[in-house]
Amino acid sequence: MNIDPQATLVLSPLWLVPAALGIMLVATLALQALQRLVEQPLTELGAAAAGGSPLHRWEPRCKLAALLGFALCAVSLTSLWLVLAALLAAAGGQALSGLPWQRPWRRLQAISGFLVMLVVVLPLTATVRPGDILLQFAGLSGLAINLRGLELALLITGKAWTVALLAEPMLATAAPAATLAGLQQLGLPRRAGSLLLISHRYLFVFRDEAARMRIGMQARGFRPRPSWTSLHDLGNFFGMLLVRSYERTERVQQAMLARGYRGVLPQPEKISVLSADWLAAALVLALGLGLLLADRLAGG
Amino acid sequence: MHQLAATRPARQAVSRLFSLRDLGYRYPDGTPALAGIDLDIFAGDRLALVGQNGAGKTTLAKHLNGLLKPDQGEITYRGQPLAGAHLTQARLEIGLLFQDADDQLFCNSIREDVLFGPRNQGLDPAEAEAAAEAALADVDLLGDAERPPHTLSYGQRKRAALATLLAMQPEVLILDEPTANLDPRQEQLLLDLLLNYPGTLICITHNLLFAYELCQRAVVLAQGRVHHDDSLRELVAHQPSQREHGLDFSFRFAGDPPQPGQGRPAGSPANRQPPLLAMTGYSYRYPDGRQALRDLTFAIRRGDRLALVGENGAGKSTLAGCLAGLRLGLGNLTLDGRTITSRTRRELTRQAGLVFQDCADQLFCPSCFEEVAFGPRQLGWPSAAINAAVTDALQRVRLENFAERVPLHLSGGERKRLALAAVLALRPQILILDEPTAGLDPQGEELLLDILSKFAVTLLLISHDLHFIRRLTERTLVLHEGRLVQDYATDDFFADADLNSLNQLDYSYRSASELRLRELRRKAAEG
Repeated sequence: MNIDPQATLVLSPLWLVPAALGIMLVATLALQALQRLVEQPLTELGAAAAGGSPLHRWEPRCKLAALLGFALCAVSLTSLWLVLAALLAAAGGQALSGLPWQRPWRRLQAISGFLVMLVVVLPLTATVRPGDILLQFAGLSGLAINLRGLELALLITGKAWTVALLAEPMLATAAPAATLAGLQQLGLPRRAGSLLLISHRYLFVFRDEAARMRIGMQARGFRPRPSWTSLHDLGNFFGMLLVRSYERTERVQQAMLARGYRGVLPQPEKISVLSADWLAAALVLALGLGLLLADRLAGG
Repeated sequence: MHQLAATRPARQAVSRLFSLRDLGYRYPDGTPALAGIDLDIFAGDRLALVGQNGAGKTTLAKHLNGLLKPDQGEITYRGQPLAGAHLTQARLEIGLLFQDADDQLFCNSIREDVLFGPRNQGLDPAEAEAAAEAALADVDLLGDAERPPHTLSYGQRKRAALATLLAMQPEVLILDEPTANLDPRQEQLLLDLLLNYPGTLICITHNLLFAYELCQRAVVLAQGRVHHDDSLRELVAHQPSQREHGLDFSFRFAGDPPQPGQGRPAGSPANRQPPLLAMTGYSYRYPDGRQALRDLTFAIRRGDRLALVGENGAGKSTLAGCLAGLRLGLGNLTLDGRTITSRTRRELTRQAGLVFQDCADQLFCPSCFEEVAFGPRQLGWPSAAINAAVTDALQRVRLENFAERVPLHLSGGERKRLALAAVLALRPQILILDEPTAGLDPQGEELLLDILSKFAVTLLLISHDLHFIRRLTERTLVLHEGRLVQDYATDDFFADADLNSLNQLDYSYRSASELRLRELRRKAAEG
């Protein structure tokens, strides 16, 4: 079946140069950000929980319900312009939290590494439908960029950035225990909440243990090489890490039992919900639903 | 002087807290851990539970808290078996301090951890908060209450773990190696706290100086059985009993403390060759931005035997990592006069053998032979040379018959010596030992000291153990908050009256305890 696009615009192949340079730049930045994220020490959730912004003061359950609801609305949008508006709103939330931009910026850079692949691949692979506009380059007849595919890639990118930006005001403005208690009040099973809390704590211990063991191997000359011996050594490393983690799990459980644990982590003191908390939640949800409504009306 | 529990003077039954009768326990793999334990522990007892590594002390402590169930015999607390609702209640009254504070601090902030127990006790929020505040104030961590545990120093974590128990106001406090790896100041802080604790105290420790300050009663475990139950004073004064159970720490009293100024002057060149290792204006910053080492300048010559001392968190292990080429800071570091760069630091790693504080970080192979052969294999040595190096290294640490044993199943002392063998097999130019005595029983310490004293190798010893420093080193570097504040003869270090005010390294109570024990031994020998 032969489907005709609405229009085919022919461009000079020179346009490919800045496009390729832009993509390479984003990919390089993303790789660097990813490397920094891996190399730098983990930052715990709620590291900036002691701030004094409105988001810090917002009762966790209301905050989580509102921001999660807004995120849900944002990912349901189909209009690029409305996604851009949601992204601006998320950036506003980040600014309102008073938290430094360094961490969300790095997070955006890191996920952009995956998103840039979409931006490259989708315009070239999107199925051509009636009404699509194609860009072709003179002399390169096999290379056609479908603008609908490009728009779809940008839409996904905008949504991903929106959610990534919301993560900081949602998770970094309260202590992990308070955030988890809020999630449990919203329906997260208590056991899952406990597992998340303890996993978050021991992620750091595990990482330190792994780093010390890696240094222990390096101190005796180990360098990973493409060989069976190297694979065997890495197998020993991961095996020992697993054994140590298992043993620690047993000891941690005993330490919990020894202090009266009976299967359920005691809950932190409940924070009272003020009318201002409800109002703020209603406003944020209204904004999300408003964007969704506008999107559906425009689409319809 | 085998005085078993049954021979102790009878006390009022009402004051008996724990009663263990013919208690026996086997590990899941069938290895016997405890057998025929008969023991009574009374309210107000201050009991040191001592014995060699692997004697069953921690296993017994876990029975006292109901964490392990005996395979035979019975254990009662306040006259009732530790089971059901009584066990639940007992756990809220019996505090158990684990060896590794990270096992005990499982929440995401110190405050949450300290609140965990009081909340389980059913205290209302205000009461729980007040209990937590008081406990945190007791251990001097009120200002750090919101910090996640992994951001605290080792000594702080140990105190925080104690606070999690103190907040529950336990009737019984069981401490498992509370002083392991603590610097003298932290040890003194802990001692002061525990001296003020009004309840029943059970302290598992190899540190008899610490136990002597804290406890009156001593129970010696050997191969899972109670071999002595008497006053700690009697045990300390009776060398043959200690020798019998590997607890004899009298090797620490060998020789009198040297006088100041007798040692080799600090930094005196043994020859005119360039130093083996030299740092000039060297600094190191952790990836999270914290400054660890600041502007260090010193040199290590071939044959030097140095001690590196400093409070917990002073940067000693980080400096060891830099000297072993595992961390690269800013400034000048030379090996045999050649500047070390990121490209050449592998050579430094090859020449500097570092034995880690926790040897578990260094052991990951399925057999002792494989473990020791790991390094030489990485360097591509031929098989014959590897076999010779492994045999020689295992012999030097007296593990010659251990080649096929599984490292994970060795005792703490054996694992420490295996880690040493793994480093020695690479024939390093300098040996760096990070807290080699941590967790070792006196017999293990004595053996290690004997082995180390026979090595003719340049040595850097990181330790809080005064006896090891005195016996093994001639020069001492004092590190404080990442700065080198002293570089002098070890004898001058021992005579340095200003050290306490200088960097909070208060060794005075250890010295005082040592003097008292010497005196006790002397009187016992005369009497």
